[in-house]
Amino acid sequence: MTDLLVARNVSKTYFDTVANDNVVALEDVSLAIRPHEFVSVIGPSGCGKSTFLRMVAGLDKPTAGEITVSGRKITGPGADRGMVFQEYALLPWKTTAANIEFGPRLKKLPKAEREAITRRFVELVGLKGFENKYPHQLSGGMRQRAAVARVLANNPTVLLMDEPFAAVDAMTRQHLQEELTAITARERTTVLFITHAIEEAVFLSDRVIALSGRPGRIVADLAIELPRPRRWDALVNDARFAAYRDELTRCIHGTKA
Amino acid sequence: MKAARTLFAELFPFAVAVAIWQALAMAGIWPKVLFPSPLEVAQTFAADLASGVLLVNLAVSLKSLLLGFVVGCAIAVPLGYLMGLSRASRNFFDPLVNLLQAIPGLAWIPFAILWFGLGQGAVTFIIVMSVFFPVLHNLLTGIRMVQPVLIEAVRTLGANRGDVIRHVIFPATLPNLMTGIRLGIAFGFRSLVGGEMIASTDGLGYAIFNAQQYFQSARIVVGMLAIGIVWLAMDRLILRPIEQRTTMRWGLVREGLEQA
Repeated sequence: MTDLLVARNVSKTYFDTVANDNVVALEDVSLAIRPHEFVSVIGPSGCGKSTFLRMVAGLDKPTAGEITVSGRKITGPGADRGMVFQEYALLPWKTTAANIEFGPRLKKLPKAEREAITRRFVELVGLKGFENKYPHQLSGGMRQRAAVARVLANNPTVLLMDEPFAAVDAMTRQHLQEELTAITARERTTVLFITHAIEEAVFLSDRVIALSGRPGRIVADLAIELPRPRRWDALVNDARFAAYRDELTRCIHGTKA
Repeated sequence: MKAARTLFAELFPFAVAVAIWQALAMAGIWPKVLFPSPLEVAQTFAADLASGVLLVNLAVSLKSLLLGFVVGCAIAVPLGYLMGLSRASRNFFDPLVNLLQAIPGLAWIPFAILWFGLGQGAVTFIIVMSVFFPVLHNLLTGIRMVQPVLIEAVRTLGANRGDVIRHVIFPATLPNLMTGIRLGIAFGFRSLVGGEMIASTDGLGYAIFNAQQYFQSARIVVGMLAIGIVWLAMDRLILRPIEQRTTMRWGLVREGLEQA
């Protein structure tokens, strides 16, 4: 199968105004993601994993190298690469339904079609009954569900997620992780997921890419061959799950010394 | 029942203030001409209302205030968004605005009279100058406070620059714009009264000034009260309902912070 997202020798250097020096955030990263693949990028703080995601989103530009999605070089943000942020980033002045309908509305889809899409994704993320609530009336977990639905409703080529569950409590996080694997499996969504939590990456992904500490370089690219659907109660005592986790832990910590 | 309780809560502070005022007036510490009682003020208020004088002055003043406010906002709001969204225009206008900002609206009276003659034209001009700066300043603050992540999020949903302005920047700046509008109207009232005292022959400010010439102290208070009542009505009938339907509903602004 042809690759959907390709990064070729991507580096990012930026000028740190506090340190008054150039900082190499990411060095010579090359990777390819196939359609329908769920790929996580993990690494210690400052390894440039979020910077990489932002470059895929078109919100930052690489200093060297290039990234293509469906064969087209990325020059700026676009609806084909919707992003879910740690801080939800829902529009406070729009209801749940209006936030989810936002992308289809920008695409000027007919009203009936927009409403059908909105209904479908409201139900998909379990927010039925909360369509007319504003974000400040929702819990953190519900806000992040709405944010995921907002991107999925826009039918992106690849779903980008930047530590989306870092701000919710541990119990909610496990629920959201299970829901996300179920939804992306059913919708066959291609996902690029950024996290610093190794277990989260193993639980969710088909493949985990580990970056070293600054400057970020790829130190591991590990296929996770655990059966789906995945559930925490089944995996928490699974020997293969533990083996993947330990291997990735060694990779990341090994580079620190 | 709930409406009655709300009305009571609203009127209670005024009742207390009037009671204290009446008690002070009855104590006879100061001569009547220096300290009119609420009763006298109420009588004068009723008389001026019946004769139509009060409403005529009110109409004259409100016309100047409204016109000055609309013109001031019509310049300040587009300029604010222009300066907020374009570095070149910010670099150009910011020094000029800062220079003019500290000059009180009333300082424009001499020129206002030279340019527009005595009358409401001059008054309207200084109201424009008074409304302009608080509206502009607060709008600029609002634009600076827009969360970048909201802009980034909608751009990854396919929003272009126009969409970002319409769906993110306009609503996000509304709380600060409302603050600017409140301050603008408040500053406008100050200039209205000051301007009419000096540069006009009618309006509420002129009426207050004129009453002083004839030692009609109750009439001075009537003029002051009329201004207060008009402001209160604007706040409760226009500004607050707008905020309740927008910024408060969206959770951007709260009624208060009792829980702190």
